[in-house]
Amino acid sequence: MENADPDIELVRLAQSGDAHAFEALVVKYQRRIARHVARYVRRAVDVEDLVQDTFIRAYRGLSAFRGDSAFYSWLYRIATNVAITAVKREPMVLLGDSAPEERIDAFEPGVSDGDDPERHVMAGQIADAVQRALARLQPDLAAALMLYEVEGRSYPEIARMLEIPLGTVRTRIFRAREFIAKRLEPVLGSQRSRRW
Amino acid sequence: MSLKVSELFDGQLASAELEPVLKNVASDPGSRDRFTIYGLIGDSLRGNSTPDDGYSLRILQRMREQAARIEPGFDPFAD
Repeated sequence: MENADPDIELVRLAQSGDAHAFEALVVKYQRRIARHVARYVRRAVDVEDLVQDTFIRAYRGLSAFRGDSAFYSWLYRIATNVAITAVKREPMVLLGDSAPEERIDAFEPGVSDGDDPERHVMAGQIADAVQRALARLQPDLAAALMLYEVEGRSYPEIARMLEIPLGTVRTRIFRAREFIAKRLEPVLGSQRSRRW
Repeated sequence: MSLKVSELFDGQLASAELEPVLKNVASDPGSRDRFTIYGLIGDSLRGNSTPDDGYSLRILQRMREQAARIEPGFDPFAD
């Protein structure tokens, strides 16, 4: 697997003072960081608080990022540190009555404490809509998207595996996303400007 | 534009192309929306479906409230 950091150009732009570049990184990684942090704390409100702390610390310390590892790995380490520090400070509040290793399997993305059934239902509707769209997606488009998103393959790797030009990889992934996005929109509703 | 948004999301734009595309995306609500939906799709495919409830906006809002800025010398790993 190729190891080039796909975020390095965005990070460089953010380091040079382009706030939108860092915003794009927030939008891109907030759910993955939330899922990681939820291994350490119990309530969704605490997860969200620690995710916010993670991105704020990352932004403040962005000049310290040298590209020795991928940006996401660096961010993940900050999140781990933020979560462990918080749990040490308030173990009874944040951990509740179960150990972190017990909560990993029980974690429901975005609804780690089950306090809000509406959030749970909405997450389920999104997952169902994506899976239904994926089932109807043209197989060559689905293959490119799944190799990228699920298998973590790079564009050049996908080109070699599927024996197609790099430009075709780009358009297949784009067309797959658009196909799914159009079928997801009725579930999401009109939220324009309320996501980023 | 959406093809460029997809490439932006995946870090596939050349450095010369990145800045103008990002500027366009940042100024266009439709493109920003697309960027976030592409992220939602990817996370959902990886089994990490979440509500579409403005999570990113709340992070960005708190960064603005705290006037977060890049601070040379700040160690993000320090307690």
